[in-house]
Amino acid sequence: MYPVLQYFVVPFIHGVVLTLVLLLCVAYLTFMERKVIAFMQVRIGPNRVGPRGLLQPIADVVKLLIKEDLTPDAANRVIFYIAPVIATLSTIAAFAVIPYGGPEATVSIFGFPIRPYLADVNVGILYVISISSIGVFGIVLGGWASNSKYPLLGGLRSAAQMISYEVPFGLAIIGVLMVTGTASLVEIVQWQQQHTWLFWLQPFAVVLFFIAGVAENNRAPFDLPEAESELVAGFHTEYSGFKFAFFFLAEYIAMIVVSALVVTLFFGGWLPVTFGLGHLFPKLPALLSGAWGGPWVMLLFGMGWVFIKVFFMLYLYLWIRATFPRYRYDQLMNIGWKFMIPASLAWIVLTGAGILAVQAIRS
Amino acid sequence: MSEARAVVIPRPAPLPWWKRFFLVEMLQGMSVTMKHYLRGWREPFTVQYPEERLPLDPRFRGYPRLRMHPETGDELCNVCRQCEKICPTLCIAIEEEPHPSGKGRRPRQFTVDYERCCQCGLCAEACGSDPISAIYMSHDYELADYGRDRFRAQKDRLYLGFPAPPAGKGKAPGK
Amino acid sequence: MYQTSELEINMGPQHPATHGVLRLVLRLDGETIVEVKPVIGYLHRGVEKLSENRGYRSVTPLTDRLDYCAAFAENHSYVGAVEKLLGVEVPPRAQAMRVVLAELQRIASHLIWLATHGLDIGAMTIFLYAFREREKCLDLFEGYCGARLTYNALRIGGVPQEFPDGWTEALRRFLDELPTRIAQYETLLTGNRIWRLRTEGVGVIDARTALGLGLTGPTLRGSGVDYDVRKYAPYENYRDYAFDIPVGSKGDTYDRYLIRMEEMRQSRRIILQALEALPDGPILAKVAGRIRPPKGAEAYFMTESPRGEMSVYLVSDGTDKPYRVRFRSPCFNNLQGLPTLSKGHMVADVVALIGSIDIVLGCVDR
Ligand code: SF4
Ligand code: SF4
Repeated sequence: MYPVLQYFVVPFIHGVVLTLVLLLCVAYLTFMERKVIAFMQVRIGPNRVGPRGLLQPIADVVKLLIKEDLTPDAANRVIFYIAPVIATLSTIAAFAVIPYGGPEATVSIFGFPIRPYLADVNVGILYVISISSIGVFGIVLGGWASNSKYPLLGGLRSAAQMISYEVPFGLAIIGVLMVTGTASLVEIVQWQQQHTWLFWLQPFAVVLFFIAGVAENNRAPFDLPEAESELVAGFHTEYSGFKFAFFFLAEYIAMIVVSALVVTLFFGGWLPVTFGLGHLFPKLPALLSGAWGGPWVMLLFGMGWVFIKVFFMLYLYLWIRATFPRYRYDQLMNIGWKFMIPASLAWIVLTGAGILAVQAIRS
Repeated sequence: MSEARAVVIPRPAPLPWWKRFFLVEMLQGMSVTMKHYLRGWREPFTVQYPEERLPLDPRFRGYPRLRMHPETGDELCNVCRQCEKICPTLCIAIEEEPHPSGKGRRPRQFTVDYERCCQCGLCAEACGSDPISAIYMSHDYELADYGRDRFRAQKDRLYLGFPAPPAGKGKAPGK
Repeated sequence: MYQTSELEINMGPQHPATHGVLRLVLRLDGETIVEVKPVIGYLHRGVEKLSENRGYRSVTPLTDRLDYCAAFAENHSYVGAVEKLLGVEVPPRAQAMRVVLAELQRIASHLIWLATHGLDIGAMTIFLYAFREREKCLDLFEGYCGARLTYNALRIGGVPQEFPDGWTEALRRFLDELPTRIAQYETLLTGNRIWRLRTEGVGVIDARTALGLGLTGPTLRGSGVDYDVRKYAPYENYRDYAFDIPVGSKGDTYDRYLIRMEEMRQSRRIILQALEALPDGPILAKVAGRIRPPKGAEAYFMTESPRGEMSVYLVSDGTDKPYRVRFRSPCFNNLQGLPTLSKGHMVADVVALIGSIDIVLGCVDR
């Protein structure tokens, strides 16, 4: 009808809305992090702003916005400004292909069909992996442009770490690709709808993928680039105010992206959790996915399920952070190169063998 | 020689491979935090300070204050200057005057510099007044104020003290 | 032509992991340490000189401020030195009470060590767990002497007051709970692979070097030397108690960690024995109101503080103020070991090692 509207304006608005929702999620993710870790540490956490501290993230945002924004004299100004933007934008962009509902949950607004994902790229996984690795530039450049020693060390660590873990991060998914035969995230979930969660077929890959993801995100126990007891604050030591907020955003969005990826690839994305009862009560999946109420209900239900699953993954992040000490730089590298990569390669071989065996039995 | 024995402390053996592979000790650690999480949800250990306060022990040493004779209501201090002498931070200063009754002396002005006082309690212990010590360790501990001169507590403040904080409703952990 | 050059960075004096105002000048080759130079003095308050201008009794509160995480141990050394100078015999009940308090202080101090050491290595929850238990120790101290950190809990000739009513029961309750708590810490750390990777083989020091550097306390015992003042120069009535002195076999950070964990258990054992056999009698020996040791008298008194050998050297010139007070602080000597310990390790290990030698800057700088 109006191709310009349909292919440019509507996706643009969709993207903006998605980004805003994401930002809100990040705000409350920080709140959740502080609360969860506080409870694990037998304390209360933020409870002053708003009822039960619920407005704390907003206060934090306001604080970051009105804070003085310092730039060190010796810093390379241009890069110093660009770095946080690169870090944030690349992680936000990664979210474009993550589905939060099936194609059947496509709703129409003013006659424009809105699908519950920004794009269904047929190389979705590759897109996510490549775009999220651009984020490392933000960190390295930020560390370097600060022209200060701690950020430099933090940036270098981060470069090495993210590049090393990129490899197992990608390799761990290969099993999924081999089983499903597609690289589109939507199709992977659809495959899981027809068969079963990939988690049951690829349990080891989940663990590898998640660990590599944690390391990619620079989260504990792999939070070396910003290890506060060693490098003060790592690559963002010299950042303050809104530029700091951008790095902060990047880190948390990256967490959400990895969690959403784990959920989409291994835990059935928007599919409802039926605890294996789907076979006993054939109506159950349809009931829980909202298929009885048309696309809007399905969209809501799909989003709900994605939200719940992602919530659990994020909780796992925080739980791990609350429990474990931090690795040392060289140990981290050892794990990456000497364990993760060989193990993920071995898993690929195993998966291949499994697929061949299944084919042999079937034929 | 005492009965103390030197014992070489055993180092735990390296983890067997299956424990390493299945992250056993990691999961154990995570169960500890989870246990605390499930309990900490309801019973945090911390105290929400301005609203809740821990009850103070009877022996708690806050800032030193002066008191009157419990029966006669007279000033107890007889300016023996023991407190002044023992104070490690030299924060007590006393000006004396003869007691109106003609017997002994009494402080005309008594100053304790709360900024310097380290709440050691030696003054109260050294005080030689009868029947109880004139200077005693009060339970005041919240002295935020604007301006340093406010911390040079003189007789009025030493006798009346600072406005008492609202009574604490918190429970002291471990008591 | 490319070439590498060493990077010199300043760690501290304001740095999250230097336990106060320690400044380290690190020379790095990549992430590997070439040299560590501790720069101290940021917390120097001249306590030794100050003490020369105070009466003997007024110095005790000053000693609180040396090692503020184990103020009782510092009180103990100083008061013991004055008693030695005067030849005062402390009544048995006061001795036993001192042992109880000293060991409670050791538990509290090791808990704060565990908390900060864990935090340095990145385990942040252990910090709050250990502080929770330490809080209970502090409550006990508050109940006894009225202060939570700077106790001033000893007087020349004994202890100022009896344990209040119900105090020993509260102490016993705390001690009953302690083993399960320690077991929890151990679940979180001792077996954890990350913890072991971070501590095993890090900062190995052999017995000879350690002795040569004057290390004491758990830092020395980690290298297998069983030097403990409580054993080799027993003060108070330590010779009456049966307890173990844990020593390490390798001399690395992990050994020092294990030793301190075990010492908490042993302290608990000592307290229980002391409470069991608490003698009756006076708690304060008769000491002249005005303390004036004979001219030229000297005394050197050592105690085993949670950080090592804490000793005080006193010289009298016959007046009521000491002529010279010298604190031999364990932290200062232990810090001396840091450059040796951290040679060839990585930046992250320096942090672990600062935690492992357990210094308190108030004690280092005096
Ligand atoms: S408590 Fe100590 S410092 Fe304070 S006035 Fe009394 S003697 Fe001086
Ligand atoms: S020691 Fe007591 S009686 Fe003597 S001057 Fe001080 S407050 Fe007054």
